Amino acid sequence: MGVEQEKTVIYDHRISTVVPATVTGNAVLHELTNMDLIMKLHYLRAVYYFNQSEITDGVTIADLKNPMFLWLNICYPMAGRIRRAESGRPLIKCNDCGLRIIEARCRRTLGEWLDVESSSSRWRLLVPDKVLGPDLQFSPMVYMQFTRFKCGGMAIGYSWAHVLGDPMSATNCINLWGELFSGNPPPKTLQLNNHQKKAENAATHVKVSPKPIPVKQVELIGDGWLAPNTRKMATNSFRITETKLKKIQPEQLKQVPTFVIISALIWKCLAKIRKSGECKMATICGYLTLPKCSKILNNTLKTSIVRLDSSAANFGLLELATLICKQEAEASKSVEELADIENGKSDFVLYGANLTFVDMEGINLYGLELKGQKPVQVDYSIDGVGDEGAVLVLQGPQRTNETSSNQERIVMVILPEDEIRQLCELLTSEFGIAQDLKINHKNSVTNM
Amino acid sequence: MPRAPFPELSSSVRLKYVKLGYQYLVNNFVAFLLIPVMIAVSLVLVRRGPDEIMALWHSLQLDLTQVLFSVFLFVFVAAVYFVSRPRPVYLVDYACFKPPTTCRVPFATFMEHAWLINWDEKSVQFQTRILERSGLGEETCLPPANHYIPPIPTMEASRAEAQLVIFSAIDDLLKKTGLRPKNIDILVVNCSLFSPTPSLSAMIINKYELRSNIRSFNLSGMGCSAGLISIDLARDLLQVHPSSNALVISTEIITPNLYTGNQRSMLLPNCLFRMGAAAILLSNRRRDARRAKYRLLHLVRTHKGADDRAYRCVYQEEDAEGHTGISLSKDLMVIAGKALKSNITTIGPLVLPMSEQLLFFLTLVGRKLINHKWKPYIPDFKMAFEHFCIHAGGRAVIDELQNNLQLTAEHVEASRMTLHRFGNTSSSSLWYELSYIESKGRMRRGHRVWQIGFGSGFKCNSAVWKCLRTVETLVDGPWTDCINRYPVDIPDVVKL
Repeated sequence: MGVEQEKTVIYDHRISTVVPATVTGNAVLHELTNMDLIMKLHYLRAVYYFNQSEITDGVTIADLKNPMFLWLNICYPMAGRIRRAESGRPLIKCNDCGLRIIEARCRRTLGEWLDVESSSSRWRLLVPDKVLGPDLQFSPMVYMQFTRFKCGGMAIGYSWAHVLGDPMSATNCINLWGELFSGNPPPKTLQLNNHQKKAENAATHVKVSPKPIPVKQVELIGDGWLAPNTRKMATNSFRITETKLKKIQPEQLKQVPTFVIISALIWKCLAKIRKSGECKMATICGYLTLPKCSKILNNTLKTSIVRLDSSAANFGLLELATLICKQEAEASKSVEELADIENGKSDFVLYGANLTFVDMEGINLYGLELKGQKPVQVDYSIDGVGDEGAVLVLQGPQRTNETSSNQERIVMVILPEDEIRQLCELLTSEFGIAQDLKINHKNSVTNM
Repeated sequence: MPRAPFPELSSSVRLKYVKLGYQYLVNNFVAFLLIPVMIAVSLVLVRRGPDEIMALWHSLQLDLTQVLFSVFLFVFVAAVYFVSRPRPVYLVDYACFKPPTTCRVPFATFMEHAWLINWDEKSVQFQTRILERSGLGEETCLPPANHYIPPIPTMEASRAEAQLVIFSAIDDLLKKTGLRPKNIDILVVNCSLFSPTPSLSAMIINKYELRSNIRSFNLSGMGCSAGLISIDLARDLLQVHPSSNALVISTEIITPNLYTGNQRSMLLPNCLFRMGAAAILLSNRRRDARRAKYRLLHLVRTHKGADDRAYRCVYQEEDAEGHTGISLSKDLMVIAGKALKSNITTIGPLVLPMSEQLLFFLTLVGRKLINHKWKPYIPDFKMAFEHFCIHAGGRAVIDELQNNLQLTAEHVEASRMTLHRFGNTSSSSLWYELSYIESKGRMRRGHRVWQIGFGSGFKCNSAVWKCLRTVETLVDGPWTDCINRYPVDIPDVVKL
C-alpha cells in the first residue's frame, strides 16, 4: 500500500483546543530542571487502541473533552507554553493556552488496521508528529488525537513533549484523565513536582569526568526543537511471549530481569549487523517508579552506561546479560551532574546518543481505562532519537487469566531503516521471536 | 501661605450647601408654594368658625341635580383619567445564561488561534494590543464551534449555540418565576446576526410547546441596543392586551460571525464579543405587581441613522479578500457621544429633578442669548438614579460615558466587571450588569436604574426601571460563584 493511499485512510481532521476550567493565575511559572532541559529534544508518542463496545459507541467528542477541563486544572503546566527567562533559560509559562485535540476518522475497521504489518509505522497516522517550535510560544506540549474506526472502535493518540515529564509522568497523567472520564473523583494527594531553584546552575562546573556520559550535544537546525538525524529512522514492534523467552533463557539467567535478557539479545543482533565494530557502548535507561498519588510532572530517569571492550557480538548471551546487570548496579549517577547546561542554551540528545535500551515495563500503559474498558493494544515510540537508535521494552496487553509476572512483552525498536529488516531476519532465524505484531482481535474481545 | 487652602475649602463647602439649598427649594417648589396657602386657608377657616361655614354652604343653594351632576362629572373625569393612563409594565424576573467552563477562552488561546488561522503577524500583534487594553478577563467564553482551528461556522453549530444559550436562560427563568410555558402570551426575541428560518422565536415555541395563539416577534439586524427595543415592543403590546405577560429574549449568536480576515477595523469585534443571553419576563397583571422586581418607568429610543456617518459607523461588509466582518469606524466614540446627548435631551426632562432641569434650561438660554462661551451645564444624573447599567460595549464606551455623565467609579463598576467576566455579550450585557448590582446587595426598594444601550444604526436607547422590592443577596444567577472575587482591579494594560 503506497504512502499516499495510507494518508487518505485517515480523513476529516478537525483541530481544536482544550483549556483548564479555572484561571491558573497571573504569571504562574513552572521552572524546568536541568534534566527536563536535557530531554527537551525528545517526544513521546503513544497510541491506545480501544475495541468497539457499548462504551465507545456512546461516547461523543464532548464527553471526551469535558473531563479534560478539570484534568488541566490539576496538571496545569501541560496547558502552558515554553518561554525564555531573561537569562535565556527555557521555562513554562502556565498561561492556560491549552492542549490540542484532533478528531479524525478512519476508513478501515480496527481489526483491519491492526492486522497490517507493524513495520509500516501506521501508528504515525494516529498521533500528531508535531514538535516544539519554531514558534515556541504557540507550540502546545501535549496533543491528543481521537480517531474513529469504521467499526466503532477508537484510537487515542497521545503526543507528549519530554521536557514536561518522563513516560511515567505522561502515562500517569493520561491515566488520570481516564479516571476522570470514568467519573471517578480526582485523587486528593496529587501535587505537582516542586522544583528546586536552579541556583546550582551558577555554580555548575564542567566536571571533567573520565566516564562516558549518555548524552550527546547536538546543533539544532532552525528553531524547531528536534535534533537532525543523518540516517532515516523507522520503527518496528514485535511481541515476545513469555514462552519464547523461556526458550532462549538458559537456567543460569533465571534471576536476571526479562528486560536485561531482551536488551542483551537485541544488542548482540545489532552488533552483528553493525559490522563497523562500534557497538561497544550502550545506555540503559529506566524510570523511577514513584507512588501513584504523588508528584506527577517530572523527569526522573536513571541511566547507566555499559561499556564493552569489544563488539557485543563477541559475547555470549549470559555474559552480556551479567555485564549489563553489573553496570546497572554500579553507576546510576544522575545525568544532570555530568552535563553542563549553560542555562539551557545547549541542546542534548539522550535516547540514541548511544544505542539505548529503555526499560518501560513498569509503565502502566494499560491503566488507561475508559469506564472500565482497557485498551486492546498500545503502540509507544519516541521521536527525536539519535542515530544509534533505541529499543523500548514495554508491557504487553494483559490477559485476564494470567498473573502479571507471566506477561508478554512488546518491543519497539527505533533504528535506521535499513537495520530494522536485518534485525528482524536475524531475530527470527536465530531466536525465532520476531514475528510481526499481529493482533488476534478475536482473543482480545473475549478477554475484555 | 498655610491660609490659602482654607478659603478654598470653606468656599467649596459653602458652595455645596448653596447647591443643596437650591435643590431643596426648586425640587419641592410646589410644596413650598402650597404650604403657606394651606396655612392661610386653615387660619381663615378657624377664624370664621364652623357655623359661618355652614351658613356659607347653605347660601349656595345647591339642589340635588346640580350636586349629582357635579359628582358624575367628577367620576367621569376620574374614570377617563384612570383608563387613559398607560398600563404599568412590571418586570417580574429575569435570568442570564451562565456559560460553562468548557467554553472558556483564555487570552493565550485566543492569540494562538488567531495566529494559526491567519498567519499574519501584524494582525496578531494588533489583536494582542487590543486584548491587553480591552478590559476583558480570562474567563470569557466563546461557543464550541469557535474553539476549532479554523472555526466551523455551520448552520447546525449556530443553531446549537442558540439552543444552548436561549434554552438555559429560559429554563432558569421558568424555575425562578414558576411560570408555565402555556401561560406566555407574547414572545419577543432579538438576535442581530443570526436569523435562520424558522426563526429563533419559532424554535422556542417548538421547544416549550407554547400556545398556538401566542404573539411572537423576532427582531434581527438591530444591533447591540436591540434588547431595549424588544422591551419597548413588549411594552407597547402590553398596552394593547390586558392582563398578559411577555417573554423577552435578548442574545447574540457568535458562531457564524468570527471574522477570519486581516482588516484591522473588523478585527475588533472578534476580540470583544462573547457568548451570552438573557430571558426577561414582563407583565401588566395587577397581581404580578406584588412579586415583580421592577417597574418600567420610561423607555426612550434615539436613532441617528439619518446622518450618513452615524449610519456607516458600525457596518457589516466584506473586506478586500471576501471575508465578511463588522467594520467599526474611527469616529465611533464621537458618534456615540452625540447619540447619547440626543437621548439625554429627551430623557432628561422625564427623570431629572426640577432643580437640574432649571439649571440646564437657564444655562442653555444663557448660552444662546447672553454669551455662548459659557460651559454647557451637564445635569447631574446621579440625582435621578441610584444605579447605572451602561452597555459593556468596550472599555472605551464605558470610559466615555463615565466622563460625559460625570459618574464615579462605583457607578460604572457593574459595567466594567461585566465586561471583565463575560466580555461584550451585546444586547444581553445590560441584564448581566443588573444581576451584578443585585448580587452585590445594592438594589433596594425605590432605587431607580438607568440602562443605556448603544448599537449599530447608530442607536442609543435608554430604559428607566424602579425597584419594587429589595432583592436579597443570594441571587441565583451568573455571578453566584464569582461575585466574591469582584470587584477586581483591571489594569490599563495586561501584559500577555
